Parts: sequence; structure tokens; C-alpha cells
Amino acid sequence: MTALLFENIDEEGLNTLEVYERRGGYRSLPKALAMTRDEVLDTLVESGLRGRGGAGFSMGKKASFLPKTDMEKYLVCNADESEPGAFKDRELMQKNPHQLIEGIMIGAYAAGANRAFIFIRGEYDFQADILEAAVAEAYEAGYAGERILDSEHTITLVVHRGAGAYICGEETALLDGLEGKRGSPRLKPPFPANQGLYQGPTLINNVETLCNVPHIIRLGVEGFTKHGVEGSRGTKVVSVSGNVQRPGNYEVELGTPSRNIIYGLAGGPPEGREVKFWFPGGSSAPILTGDDLDLPYDFDSMAKAGSMLGSGSIIVIDDSNAVLDVALKVAKFYRHESCGKCTPCREGTNWTVKMLERIERGEATPMDLEIMAGVQERIIGNCLCVLGDSMAMPIGSMIKKFRDEFEAHIERARAEADGGPVPEPSALVGVAGAEPGPYPSTADAED
Amino acid sequence: MITLTIDGREIQAPENAMLVDGAKYGDVEIPYFCYEPKLGAPVGACRMCLVEVEGIPKLQTACSTGVKDGMVVHTQTARVRDAQEGVVEFLLINHPLDCPVCDKGGECPLQDITFGWGAGTSRFIEPKRHFVKPLELSPLIAIDRERCIVCYRCVRFSQEISEDYQLVLLERGANSFVGTFDGHPYVAPFSGNIIELCPVGALTSRAYRFRARPWEVEGGGSICTLCPAQCNVEFTVRDERVLRVLARDHEDVDDGWLCDKGRFAYQAIHVDERIVEPMVREGGELRAVGWDRALETAASALAGAAGKAAGLAGGETTNEEGFLLGRLLREGLRSPHLDSRAGTPLPLALRQALAAPALAATVPDLEFAHAVLVLDCEPVDDAPILDLRLRKGVRRNGMRLAIATGRPSTLDSNAEHSVRIAPGAGGALLAALDAALGSGGDLGALAAAAGLAVDEVRTLATLLSEAGEDVVILWGERLTDGPGGAHAARALLNVARRLGLHGPQGAGLLGIPAGANGRGLAEVGVLPDAGPGLQAVETAGRPAAGIAAGLADGELSTLYLLHADPLRTHPDRTLWERALEQATVIAHESTMTETVRRYATVVFPAESYAEKEGTVTHPDGRLQRLRPAIGNPGQVRSEWRVLAELAERIGHGLGVLTGEMATGQVVEAVPFYARLTLEDIGGRGVRWQERVAASAMPEGAPGPFDLEPLPAAPAANGALRLGTFRSIWAAKEVEISPSLKFLAARQRAELSPTDAERLGVEHGEPVEVVHDGASVHAIAAVRANLPAGTVFLEEATATEPVNILTDGEQRLVQVRRP
Amino acid sequence: MTRDVVRFEHGSRVPGWDDAVDLTKDPAQIPDPATTPVPPELRAQIEEYMSRYPDRRSAALPALRAAQNHHTYCSPEAVDQVACVMRVTPAYLAALTTFYDMLETEPKGTHAVYVCTNISCSLNGAEELYEAFQEAIGEDPDINLRTFECLGACDIAPMASVDGTYIGPLAPGDAVTVRDDIKADRPVLDAKQLRHRKVVPQGDPS
Ligand SMILES: Cc1cc2nc3c(=O)[nH]c(=O)nc-3n(C[C@H](O)[C@H](O)[C@H](O)COP(=O)(O)O)c2cc1C
Ligand code: SF4
Ligand code: FES
Repeated sequence: MTALLFENIDEEGLNTLEVYERRGGYRSLPKALAMTRDEVLDTLVESGLRGRGGAGFSMGKKASFLPKTDMEKYLVCNADESEPGAFKDRELMQKNPHQLIEGIMIGAYAAGANRAFIFIRGEYDFQADILEAAVAEAYEAGYAGERILDSEHTITLVVHRGAGAYICGEETALLDGLEGKRGSPRLKPPFPANQGLYQGPTLINNVETLCNVPHIIRLGVEGFTKHGVEGSRGTKVVSVSGNVQRPGNYEVELGTPSRNIIYGLAGGPPEGREVKFWFPGGSSAPILTGDDLDLPYDFDSMAKAGSMLGSGSIIVIDDSNAVLDVALKVAKFYRHESCGKCTPCREGTNWTVKMLERIERGEATPMDLEIMAGVQERIIGNCLCVLGDSMAMPIGSMIKKFRDEFEAHIERARAEADGGPVPEPSALVGVAGAEPGPYPSTADAED
Repeated sequence: MITLTIDGREIQAPENAMLVDGAKYGDVEIPYFCYEPKLGAPVGACRMCLVEVEGIPKLQTACSTGVKDGMVVHTQTARVRDAQEGVVEFLLINHPLDCPVCDKGGECPLQDITFGWGAGTSRFIEPKRHFVKPLELSPLIAIDRERCIVCYRCVRFSQEISEDYQLVLLERGANSFVGTFDGHPYVAPFSGNIIELCPVGALTSRAYRFRARPWEVEGGGSICTLCPAQCNVEFTVRDERVLRVLARDHEDVDDGWLCDKGRFAYQAIHVDERIVEPMVREGGELRAVGWDRALETAASALAGAAGKAAGLAGGETTNEEGFLLGRLLREGLRSPHLDSRAGTPLPLALRQALAAPALAATVPDLEFAHAVLVLDCEPVDDAPILDLRLRKGVRRNGMRLAIATGRPSTLDSNAEHSVRIAPGAGGALLAALDAALGSGGDLGALAAAAGLAVDEVRTLATLLSEAGEDVVILWGERLTDGPGGAHAARALLNVARRLGLHGPQGAGLLGIPAGANGRGLAEVGVLPDAGPGLQAVETAGRPAAGIAAGLADGELSTLYLLHADPLRTHPDRTLWERALEQATVIAHESTMTETVRRYATVVFPAESYAEKEGTVTHPDGRLQRLRPAIGNPGQVRSEWRVLAELAERIGHGLGVLTGEMATGQVVEAVPFYARLTLEDIGGRGVRWQERVAASAMPEGAPGPFDLEPLPAAPAANGALRLGTFRSIWAAKEVEISPSLKFLAARQRAELSPTDAERLGVEHGEPVEVVHDGASVHAIAAVRANLPAGTVFLEEATATEPVNILTDGEQRLVQVRRP
Repeated sequence: MTRDVVRFEHGSRVPGWDDAVDLTKDPAQIPDPATTPVPPELRAQIEEYMSRYPDRRSAALPALRAAQNHHTYCSPEAVDQVACVMRVTPAYLAALTTFYDMLETEPKGTHAVYVCTNISCSLNGAEELYEAFQEAIGEDPDINLRTFECLGACDIAPMASVDGTYIGPLAPGDAVTVRDDIKADRPVLDAKQLRHRKVVPQGDPS
């Protein structure tokens, strides 16, 4: 068992400055301030820390992309956490806000930013209140604000609450949201590192990414890289949910076999059920099946398996569920969250939902599966941001991996709609490795 | 130029072009919808322009990818074709199939791109969504939401170009739609531009809807003479009728935009109110008579008025018309009484100094200057298109904007520093500024005379002197048309010298005249004291106010009004009423103005700007050419021809047989226009300052500048200072164009909250503004940012004219509830 | 101009798409403070938000949420007030109120009950839960019951957020208690509040 970010996580009062300091907190910040910026940047690069927000880009490299000029620079912490299945940042902010604040201060120092913001999703009011209290404490104690720790560095920190939009997790949409606009992604380039918030160079990192920073400074490159595996250093807080017995957040070494997380930690599906498929990195990751349970849980292994680690959120779907239901949920979610700025995403998500609904109503033919798969292909890679891909990739993977089930469903629903004889469901479900389960009727599925 | 390869062919393209534009250099067309460089940085929304760039794994948007030397681009590979077909397919999912009844059909980018890059079939078999359509977006614009492809062009215009921020996208995702707040109409000075920007038929002109199909119309390029901005326009003509006005992109003039007056007031050309026959007053009534009778009546009146005739030329008068009027009066009738301005005349030497080529700023200078001072003018009202230029300068180029006006400006929020001066105190402000810049005058007293604190003037001075060398002062005629006009002009010249505006290319002065062709008319000699070329005349005549007085007391007898309407535009309405009552009035007009209806003895029908031939001079010195787009209606004849005939009939032929000959005479008479031809002017115009002949401009002299503070603006003690302004909508064309009517200026009294409270007046209530027995009825408009102590009324309204209260001097008025 | 036309029955219905503007209204420019009264507390709050950012417009979302708390929803009047204090056009804000899920543009109950119906919650019975809520709350005008996308608490699926307080895992039977707690102004379902939840014991994964 590893506990870096989750050390003492359930200790009463860890969210206060006093307990955090007592547990060794705020020691990395002065240590970092005693280093030069470049030394801190080098440490971050060499630690191999990759972003925990989705894209998995090297945090140190991204921070070093910011121009070294003396223009106003910004650090923005992405705490929008709205992807289905993800709830790790919530835990980190609620239970140990100072860990994040310390990470932000070090990150801002390294990037040369004088202003930092935490963009937290509006629904996390409770966590935002905790963060604001912690920020006030940090100001009071001189860890934030004017001339932190009596150095010449000024770093302000403001908690900014969103108002309900998943797209604001996308980094450039987040910037627009923070500037008080509709959260629509911006064209890249220019990348935020050059032109971000208020047109200034901006470093954007996920909550968990920044929470790692004090530990990297504390442990040093050598100490930190003891954790994880080649290419995926450190630990990962994994949110496991869906059909598992012990849903929750688990901090694991990157590279831990997936089975150990899903079964060992989260207890696996309920008694008598099997894993039918799972999202390894939130609802935007292409699905994996029971066959993939032995893959090590790290960035590269997930990518090699055709999916991604993403935000590190595992959603398990057991064999009592129909893939169509999940596909429809996913598609409706992305249709609802598409900002509408670019054509393929706006129209493609809408069209996909309509096709899936038609399948559900029994008005589709197997040819529609072809069209649906084709539509996904025309979305992938052609959008302004990757929200469109985030629907198209899992939906595409579901069609690919569960084509038989979709086809069976089409036949069955058509027969049902026509009032003819309904084929036996169990005979039609053919998923490698998964036991066919009773097939819930989709007729009364809710929107 | 750099070299890149597109589809296997090497092409040369300019260095900082985007791929979509660069590709055109190799005759490669990359389709796009949302890209429009006029709207600012690309947004990459429509995804139509995806291409493959070697070395980059993902397809790239050609609208936002700059060309690079050695770049290898593919626009025809299977991958690209598939992406393009995909985008067309997506866009057509919900686009209705109503091209046959769509105004855009035939000139529709979506139609063209579907034809060129679409697959020809759709796999979408769900029902298309349908909505009620078309809906009003404003009295001018209809919106068809089914057709919208959410390209963001219209909302970007509203948000980033005109910055009125009234038009936005509402909802999100597939539900996104273009709309306004809570059902308010999108009414703003530049709203019509979105019609031209929309790449589909979603936004259409309610005035143009279903009037014509693209293949039935012709386009005629000309100039809009409804205001001094003189935007370049293209008239859409069908069967000798102007059906639409489009922008004819000229980056040195209008940047490709039009205001709604310019876009919709063409309707005034074809209204029933238009005067199309010559008329003569008989038994108190104007009666249509043939040209011969009308000319004869006018000629004999003029012939009998030698030495006692006078002329006023309105702003839309062309250089040729103004010049010929001058010849008719000065040479034919030995009457030097001639004016094109309404205010107190400026000494000629000052006029010349202000017009010095070295001091002349251009329209693009407004955008690229380090700093611009907007002085005593409101660009959106006085020369609307310049408002957009200034916004662009601030937004894109970091131009630093300062404002010094009496009334709050719509540009205040873009300005780094705004000061509110007392009405008529522009000269005082300049004197104070001159002192702050180091003249040694008494800054405290001078600032007080302008109604300002010393610090406000200092900040302004610092901004202007430290911004950089390119500083432009954009000033309005209001600055110099009052009794303190000469003082203000000298102060302006002083400040310009102190800031070093003579030297740098991008620095200088840009004056907005009150009349559309105010600059041209002055330069061709429609001034009491100057002939063509701003040269002194032997005997100076009377200025406008003097003409009124002369007519009223019988020293003058006959008045020639060339597109002029003094009851509307000139101060001291009471005097003008008396003057017109006494005089024989010959009016050259296109509509039944009050002056014509009540006082004209002879009426000549005037051409509209779409019918005219000739030249006008832009405030920055650009001569521009008017070309007839349609024939003259009814019996309308060209003004130059009428003037020439009249001159003939009084025995002083002008030797003008064609419009071009008139231009020839102007060019010959104005030394700094020398040898210009209509061909030279062409479709883009020529700034005379950029030609060799510019050196023939007489060198003016500012004369001694007295830094003594002017008498402070009168203390209000219970009364209010009267400020006036002329709104963009105060124009006869607006009043008679069916679709613009609703905008026509109505008299309102703008009050500060403090004054309103003191007077017990509520917002929206009727009030009376009184001076010396005369009164104007208005609706009270309480505005928070208005300086206390002043009430503002609109000039040139159709009813409740403010010039009944004014005679050019500063006024104190009483405001009360009737 | 709006008429009832049968063919508009099918296809997606989007609120607002069929609405023309009201030509009798004036264009909506930045509201003039002289004619737009704003409650002083709300003004103070918005001004405080604006002071936090280098660009005042960044305060738009917090300001709208404050106005929503004040007026129960982002009514035209509320939007006008925010626009007046922030010196932006009401349309600028309308673009936001219709974009962000937590901002309501129609009159709503003062208490917000968001029931998550995303994947993990619906795998654990969110649909039944929502039905139970519908039944328990009925047409109560004080409560704004709605389904919501993933609220970031799949560990307590199925769950709901009541005025920002997360509760779960919920059984359909909890709906009545939640309603009663709301009506009695008590902490909702205290025992199932997320704030009590410990991180699940971190066993050895192997
Ligand atoms: C549609 C979409 C939603 C996203 N949501 C989140 C989010 O909620 N939280 C987050 O940290 N990153 C999110 N991301 C990823 C961010 O764009 C960005 O990559 C990340 O914040 C960078 O931080 P990191 O390098 O620390 O991971 C999202 C991306 C997309 C395309
Ligand atoms: S109305 Fe026209 S210009 Fe505006 S977004 Fe739609 S298609 Fe584009
Ligand atoms: S033109 Fe390039 S994305 Fe629209």
C-alpha cells in the first residue's frame, strides 16, 4: 500500500493549516523557494510526473514552455472534475486542501506566475468553501499573497467557482469560463503556455497533478521515481465506481494490475456477476473488456490497449447491463455537454443520440450501425477540442467490441416493435469472456 | 514571399498569410465558413477548412495555420476529402432544403461548398428539425434559425467589431442559437453588417427579402454621401431601382463595414415623397411646371438679384456642384455670399493651417496610432464607420484612446482616459492641454474654463505625450463652429505642434466636418472668404448667419439652396424663418423638407446619390468618385446641368457640357487637385496630399495664440447649460425610408440624475426646455454618466427643433415639467 | 408571427428557437445605473467579486449565481441588475445563463435537488431514485427537482445534491426523508452526507 497524496487522508482536521503543518506540510514550499526556478523545473521534468487531468502530458515540460519574459503569467488549477466516473479531485480538495495550495505555490513559482486561480466546478460548493477557508489560512500564514514567506515572490490565489458545464474542464474552455465567458474551447495554437488567461502565458494543471508537486520536492527525483513504473511515475488516485462492491478512491502505484484495483481494492462486481466491460479512464476512454483486466494500470499500457488512462477513473459495467444503455447514456451526456462551437461535435453527438434512440425504439437496421460507426470516424480528430472524440471513441469501441449485441438488439427491438416473435436474448449476446446475463428491457429506459 | 507545396505544386505566398489565403496564390481553393479576417483572429469553429500538413498527424484548420517556407500541404487526399464531406454532411443535417425560396440562393457559400466539396448524398434519415420562420430579429433583419450553421460570424461582429454585444449565442451544443437578451430586438448602428456576413440565408434584410434573385441584379459601385465617412458602397440594382446596398470593402475608408443608415437609407431614393418634377410656387402652392418654366422663373429671380443673391450648399453636394454654384454666384451675379458651413467662419489662414498636408492624418492612422484623442465629436454619430476603426485600434493594436467631449461617448469604455468638458469648451480644453504640455500658461485657470480639474488635463497631456510619436487628434467641426472657434483652432494647432504631429507619417489631425462633403466643399470654394483651393477671394461674402440676417433685413433678396435645409441644420431658427419668409428661395432638393414646403419659390428636383456623377472629398483628403448606378427618375436632371443652364440664362455660360467637364474645371481651379482625372480617382479614390500637387496648398498661419483663459462657461445657478448633439439617425433619409423610420431621432432631454432629482423630473417624462420665451418639448432621459449642470438636446430632429433655442452662442436654459 | 404548425411537432424542440423578438422593446444596451435599481447587498457582493480579478468580467459567473440566490432564478430583472453593476450588456450574461447548467432562466423553487443520472448512478438505480423523488416532491413550488449529469460522487451512487450538499448512496425510500428535511429546514439526511465519508480502507491491491 502506498500513500503519498492520501497520507493521513482521513485524519480529523487535516484540512486545517495546523494539522497539515503538524503532519509535515508546507516544508516543500520553502525548500522550492530556496532553489532556482530552473532547478524546480528540472526536478519536475525529471520526476516524470505526467498530468492527471486526462492528457498525461509531462507537467515539468509544460511548465517550462512558459516564456521566461517578465510579462504577467498565470497558473490555473483545473478542478472542474466533471467527467463521469471521476471524483478523486473532490477528495483531495475536501480532505487536504493545503496540499493542493502548496503544490500550486510551488508550481506558480516554477512557472514564474504571480497569479493563480483554482477553477472548481460549481457543484462542489462544499469543497470550494473548504478551499476558500484554507486559502485564507495560507494568506494569513504568508504561504500565499504578497511576498510569500518573506521572499520577493508574490503569488495570489483565487478560488473561482464554475456554474455547471463539463466542457469547462477542457483547458481552453476553462480559460474562457474563468474570463467570464461561455466555456467554449479556443483554437490551438496558440497554446495556453503562450497565450492563455487574459492573453498571458498560463500553466494549467489538474488538482492531482499539483498535489504531487510538494511530494516531488520533498522526496527529490530519486525518491519520487521509486513509485510507479517507467513512463508512469508516482502513484495515482483512482476513482472506481459502477458495478463494484466497494466504490471509492484508491491511491495505487502506477503499473498496478487493473484486476487488483477492480477486484482487489474495489471488491469487483456484486456476487455472481462478471465484468462485462470497463472504462479505464472515465467515460471518454474507449472501453476495455474482461480480457484486459490483467493489464498494468499505467499511461502507456492503457494506450497500447487502445484506450487511455485519462483522469484515472474506472467505471465497471457488469454483465447484467446492456451495452446499448451505456452507449446511450454516454452519447446523451456528450450531446448535453457539447459547447456547440464546432460542427462535428455539435452535430455528430446529436446525430449519434438520435441513431441510438432509433435502435432502442426498434426502428433501426444493421446498416445503421455502419453509419453510426462512420459518423464516429468523421468526428474523431476533426473537432476543435477532444470532447467530440470523447464520445466518438468509446461509442466506436462499443460498436466494435459489441457489434453482435447491437445487432441482436436491433433485431429484437424491431421484432418487438412489430409485435412479432421475439428472439431469445441469451442466444444473441456474444461477448468474449462474459457470461450472458438477463437482459433488461430497454422499453422503459429513462432519458 | 515564401514557397510551399500544395497538392504537389510549389506556390509562392506572402509570409504571414493563413493557408486558406496562401493557397489562393496557387489557385487552390480551400473551403471555409467561419473564417473572416475582418472579424479578428480565426476561431476554427466550422472545421470546413481541414487539410493535411505533412509532419502533423492531425488534420489542421487552414484558416488558422500560417504558411511556412517548405511546408507541404494536401487538400485532396482521401482523408481530407472525407473530413470535408463529413463537415458538409454534418452541416446539412438540420439545414432545410428551401434554397428555391431562399434569398441567399445563388450567392450562398453553403450552396457552393456543398456543390464543390459535399458528397452529394446524406445518410441522415431522422426528421430534420423545423421551426417557425422567418422571425424578426429587428425591424431590419429577419432570422431563419433552421438555416443557421452556427459559424459565429454574426455574433463575433456584434461582440468584437461593433462591440454592442447585443447579439449572442444562447443555449449550448446542438441547441445553440443566435439571439438577444429577453426578446429585445437587435438594434444598433451597425447591425446590418451581419446580413452580409452570414454565409447562409439565416440572416436576411427585411427590406430586401424576396425582391430579387442574384442573377437578375447588377451591382453599381459608388460612394455613400449620407455622412462624412463616405463609405464605399455597391448598389444592387434591378430595373433601375436600388434594392440593396452592400459594402465595397476599402480598407483606407470603411474597412468593409457600413452603418445601418448607409445600408438601408437607399429606400429614400424610391419613396413617393421624392420630388421628381420642377415646381414653382403659384398662389401660395407649389405646382409642377416644366423645366423651362422653372428655369426661367429662377433665372429671372437671380438676374434681378445681382449682388444680392446668396447660396448655401448642404453636405451631400458634390465638389462639382458646389464649384459651379460658386461660379454662378461669384462670377454670374457678383454675389460672394456663399457658405457650406452652419457656424461662425474660421479665419482663412487658420483653415489653411489646419488643412496642411503635413498635419493630415488618414483613416488607417486611427487604427495604428499610438494614441488618439477624440475631441468634441462623437464618431458613431458624426462619421459612424470611424467608431469601428477606433475600436479596432484599441482592441487589436493596443492604440491608447483618450476622449474629451461634452456628452458621454459610446467609446468611453474603450478609452484609457475620458474627460467631460463643458459644452463649447473644446478650445478651453486645448488651451489647458497646451499649458499642461509646457506652454507656461496658467493651467489652473485654463482647466477651470474647460470645466475640468487640473489632474484630468495632466493625465491627458501625459497620455498624449508619452504614448509614442504617432498621435492623432480626431476633432469635430463642433470644436470650431462657435464664437470661440478661432481660438480653439489656434489652440489645436499649438497642441499639434507641441506634440510634434507635423512630422511622423502616422500622426496628425483628422477633422470631421458637419456635412458629408464638408471638406470638398471648402476646398472647391464654397466658403464666404475663400475661393477654389482655399485661396482668398477679393471680396469676402457673408457667412451663413450673415446671409440669414441679410435676407431678413432685405439687404439680400434671393437664396439658392443646394441640398441645404437651414431650418434643420442652422442655428437661430427664428432668424432663418424670417429670412426665408423675405427671400426668393430657389431650392434644389429631393424631398419635401420643411424649408421647401413652406418657403421655396422654385424647386428643382435633385438627384439622389445613386444617380449622381462627380466627386467628393473625404475628411482625410481622399477624392472619391460617385458613379450613377441608376437612371434619373421622373424629370430629375443633374444639378451641374441645371446650374450650367441657369448661368447660361443669366448670360454667363459656364462652359460645362458634361459631368466630366465639370470635374475638369474643379481640378483646374483647385491647385492641389491639379491634373487629377476621374480615371485616376477610379474605384479606390486618391488622397490629394499624396500627390505632387499637394505642395500647391497655401501655407496657412495660426496667428497669435492668446493663452488667456476664455471666460468660464456661464454659471448655471438654477439654470442648465444647453449642450446639443446630432445623432446618426437625424437625417431626412432615415425619416422617409420605410424600414428606418422607426429610428428617426425624436427630441429628448438628457439629464444627469442630480439635475433630474433637483428638478423633480423622472426618466421618460415629458419636459419643456425653455430659453427666452422659446421652448422645446422633449422626453426626459436620465443618464447616470452625464455631467451635472448640462442638459443635452438633439439637433436636426424633424419636430421640436433645438435650433429655436440657439444662435451659436452658449445658452443657459430652464428645464421644467410642462 | 408565431403560429401553431403541425409539422413542427416532430424533430427536436429547443426552447427559444421559435421566438421572435418583441419589436416594441428597446434594444438591450448596458443598463443605465440611473434607471436600474440594484439591491445594495447584491451590488456589494458583485463588486467584491469584480475586485478579485484583473478583468471585471471574470466575475460574471459568481455574480450571476449571487443574483440567482437573490431572485431565485436569473430573471430578466436579475440579469439587468448584474449587467448594470458589471457594465456589460444583458445579452453578454444571457449567453452565460443559458450555457451553464446551474443557472436557471425560468422561475424555480429555491431549493435545488439535483439527482445524478449518469452512468455509475444509473447502474446503481438512479432512475428509480429519481422517480421516488418525483413522487415525494410532486409539484412543490419550493423545490427545484431535476436530473443532473455526473456530480462527481460516483462513490456514493446513486446520489443527489440538495442545495449543494451531497448525499448518498440513496435508496428510493430516502426521498421522502429528504423532502421532509428540506421542508423543515434541517440538515438533509445527515447520516448519508458525503462529508462524513471516509476514504475506503486502502487494502493491499495485490
Ligand atoms: C472535454 C474535456 C474535459 C476535461 N475535463 C477535465 C477536468 O475536469 N479536469 C482536468 O483536470 N482536466 C480535464 N481535461 C483535461 C484538460 O484539458 C487538461 O489537459 C488538463 O487540465 C491539464 O492538466 P494536467 O496536465 O495536469 O493533466 C478535460 C479535457 C477535455 C477535452
Ligand atoms: S446566423 Fe448566419 S452568421 Fe450567424 S451563426 Fe448562423 S450561419 Fe453564422
Ligand atoms: S474556416 Fe477554418 S474552421 Fe471555419
